[in-house]
Amino acid sequence: MTTQENSDDRIALLQGTLDLLILKTLVLGPCHGQGVARMIQRQSEDVFLVDHGSLYVALQRLEDRKWIRAKWGVSENNRKARFYSLTPKGREQLVEKTGEWRRLARAMGLILEPGGGFKGEEA
Amino acid sequence: MFRRKRSAEDFAEEIKAHLEIEADDLRGEGLSGNEAYTKARRAFGNVGAARERFYLQGRLVWLDKLLRDLRFGLRSLAQSPGFTATAILTLALGIGANTAVFSVMNAVLLKSLPVSDPDRLVYLRTSNPPRGTGTVDTEETFSYPVYDALRREGKGLTPVMAYVPLSGSKVAVRVGAEPEEAEGDMVSGTFFSGLGVNLPLGRGFSEEDETNHSPLAVISYNYWTRRFTRDPDVLGKTMYVNAVPMTIVGVAGEGFEGVESGGSTDFWIPLQNRRELNAWGNPPEDGKLYMTDPTWWCLRMIGRLAPEVSRAQALAQLQPLFQTAAFIGLGGKPMEGEKPPLLGLADAKAFSGSYNTDYGRPLRMLMTMVGLVLLIALANVAMLLMARNAARQREFSVRQALGAGRGELLRQLLVESLILVTAGGALAWGFAETATRLLGRWAEIESSLAPDRTVLLFTLGVLLIAALLFGLAPLRVALAGRAELALKTSAATSNTDAGKSRMARMIVALQMTMCVVLLVGAGLLLRTMRNLQTTPLGMDVDGLVVFRVKPNIPSLAEGRAFYVNLTNKLRALPGVESVTVMEERIGSWWSNNSDLRVDGRLPNVANSASRTVRSNVVGPNFFHTLGVPVLSGRDFADSDNAASPLVGIINEQFAERFLPNVNPLGHTFGPDNVPVNVTIVGVVKDHKYRSIDEEPIPMAWYEYAEIPLVGPMDVEMRVHGDPLAILPSARKVVQQIDPNLPLIRPMTQRAQFDMTIAHQMMFARLAGFFGFLAVVLVATGLYGTLAYRVSLRTAEIGVRMAVGARRGQVVWMILKDSLMLTVAGVLMGVPLAMLVGRALTSSLYGVKPLDAFTYFTSVVGVAVVALAASAIPAGRAASVDPMRALRTE
Repeated sequence: MTTQENSDDRIALLQGTLDLLILKTLVLGPCHGQGVARMIQRQSEDVFLVDHGSLYVALQRLEDRKWIRAKWGVSENNRKARFYSLTPKGREQLVEKTGEWRRLARAMGLILEPGGGFKGEEA
Repeated sequence: MFRRKRSAEDFAEEIKAHLEIEADDLRGEGLSGNEAYTKARRAFGNVGAARERFYLQGRLVWLDKLLRDLRFGLRSLAQSPGFTATAILTLALGIGANTAVFSVMNAVLLKSLPVSDPDRLVYLRTSNPPRGTGTVDTEETFSYPVYDALRREGKGLTPVMAYVPLSGSKVAVRVGAEPEEAEGDMVSGTFFSGLGVNLPLGRGFSEEDETNHSPLAVISYNYWTRRFTRDPDVLGKTMYVNAVPMTIVGVAGEGFEGVESGGSTDFWIPLQNRRELNAWGNPPEDGKLYMTDPTWWCLRMIGRLAPEVSRAQALAQLQPLFQTAAFIGLGGKPMEGEKPPLLGLADAKAFSGSYNTDYGRPLRMLMTMVGLVLLIALANVAMLLMARNAARQREFSVRQALGAGRGELLRQLLVESLILVTAGGALAWGFAETATRLLGRWAEIESSLAPDRTVLLFTLGVLLIAALLFGLAPLRVALAGRAELALKTSAATSNTDAGKSRMARMIVALQMTMCVVLLVGAGLLLRTMRNLQTTPLGMDVDGLVVFRVKPNIPSLAEGRAFYVNLTNKLRALPGVESVTVMEERIGSWWSNNSDLRVDGRLPNVANSASRTVRSNVVGPNFFHTLGVPVLSGRDFADSDNAASPLVGIINEQFAERFLPNVNPLGHTFGPDNVPVNVTIVGVVKDHKYRSIDEEPIPMAWYEYAEIPLVGPMDVEMRVHGDPLAILPSARKVVQQIDPNLPLIRPMTQRAQFDMTIAHQMMFARLAGFFGFLAVVLVATGLYGTLAYRVSLRTAEIGVRMAVGARRGQVVWMILKDSLMLTVAGVLMGVPLAMLVGRALTSSLYGVKPLDAFTYFTSVVGVAVVALAASAIPAGRAASVDPMRALRTE
């Protein structure tokens, strides 16, 4: 029932969240689609199971918006792959979206854990 | 979004790469080659869905689908070229005819005056002119004193404007060196300001221009375009009108060509007061021009209702003014027993006047006819589509089984109908343009007939209705076949169409109904045409040729001498049998109408019949030349001249009505307003004067050499052989007398009379054409439907014949079906046709609206078409080989 879990996670991935995660991943350097998916999955400690179809559509969307650019290259294990990298515009977006997300998370935290605050979860 | 940076192949490539990298990773984690790849795929999810999402991303999905539907629709229509061509042609004919007739109707009847606030404009009308006056139109023209009084004191209308043509046709105009002819009106100073005509260039007139009779002119936009190629330097140029110089000071707004429907005035000048520019181009009567002659009612008037004043209030204010002014110069008050004239105000928003009766009714009738043709055409195409789509039921079922939604099928059908309608509409537009020009020529409409926005909207509206109808009509059929049907044979479905076949039967019957109506209408009009063509004129019109001369006449004596001289010289030409002259050309609609005194007083008329007499002024041998029999007394002769006693001739009607039961010879008649009596010396047989379709009316003739007025006249010559062949030598004779005189409108007398029925003839021809078109459309529709229905019953017929039905029985089965439809159609059609016949009454001549022959022929015509259209499919059905029919499926 992985698919079921996936779709649950996708619901958790709010509109725009995937975009932010992709941008964040690409800050570390150019990467192909599969690498982006792996990285997101790993860094979220497997909480986020990325739907690959959505990922590629999202990559295409970001490319159309000129936030990222793509180039065919060769992967570390010598496979042909399409590498994505951030554009300056994409960097600006990342800063902006990260700020937005922080504000949203803080506000959510304030409401869900009155008095606790965002950091309370770590206790 | 039409051009994409990245192809779908590139995207697929990327996904492939992803899967390979993922599999590599998984192998690195210890999985075997195959397992790794499978897991990678599983982890990715639905590759096809991802590719589809990539494909759809950023595309105008509806447009993409539309384009695909369009391509599919074109392919599917191309597969049945016969059907496509029939449908498109049918649509083009139906819609084109409607657009054409509507264009003309729009130009003539619907377009409002291109002036500001036309709702507040009214034409002035009178019930009748006072006695002792001459008019141009008994209800529409007024004398100058009436205009003068109304414009000064008529507070209900601000302003009252007068306008009058400078000629019955065109006047001589010269700008620069080339002389030409143009239509011109004299108008009030308030004409442009009062109507609110927009002047893109220059200015209009002022009241001072009218008072001073300023030599100024405003030209129409059309004339400016045609003659001056929209040269802005036209202002200030001198324009010679009948050799009188006028300065062009303005150009009227586009579309303004006067306030009479269908007219096309080229220029306007302020009201003038000089011999060369008399109203209607008439010679001065007793030295008086229109401004000083209260007995000549020749001005047309239009007014604008004063602010806050209703039409009734305005009329109440103007009525007493009018009734006083009407008798200025006529003794100041009505004569004994005379009914004073009543002023009326008529809507000027849309054009009206005689134009409406001449063209309005026929145009509305034509519109109805082409409307019916359109209905038939639409029904035809709808039926063709239904039949075609029923035959495609299997295709639809298969497509549904493969996952097409009903919405998609609907869209597909709508797109197909859209293609048909677009193609048909484009063709219709071209067809309509030609037809409109022909119709415009018929109606002698010179004003612009170019299809405007209203026409375009009308056509688009019709097309839209057609597109929806054609898309939706076959829908039920298409959707009736559910997906499971794809698996069954079509023989199994052939008995499911009972319902839609009832619908098709109804449509066929209705088409026949409309066909009967159209055929009766067309038949009545065609018989009218025949009657008009064969109407006896009461004279021997063949061998007659007529032309007009406008000599320069300095004095009465010289004028008379000119005509005597001309007549004598023409008579001497070889081949000429006799020659005469007349003031009003016969067969040209013109006539002089007035009440006449008989034996010194206005006659008492039995049964309160009209006292109106049509009179004409003619020369010697008039009736002999025309070939009109003189019943008693004599014709005019050369000996009737200024020195001899005054003589006149009357027709039978005159004698019957005003001098019943006595010998009219020796009695006298004379005009109502002049104390002159002429003695009746002859009675002639009734004959046509103004037009072919006129009813007999009392007529009287004066001799030109005896009365104190002489102007331009028409010369009538009877010759041996081709009448027109005499014209060159006649022209030589005229130019020997005065080298500057042209022969005006020379033609045979037959052609002149034919012009008076040209409208009716054209109307009848058009009606006949539309009737014929309807029959053709009905025949194709019927054939298509019946053939289709027979084809559906092939299996059934095969069974019947296999179990022993004979050929005849099968044919009869099919024929019976269409006969019943015909009977139903005829039963509905005949009463409807009777209604149409009643509406046509005023357009008919010599045929009753309930003409049995026409009805009979129409019904037989429809029946023949129906039977012929059924016979072929029936014959084909009967020749079906039973074994093959059964094996078809």
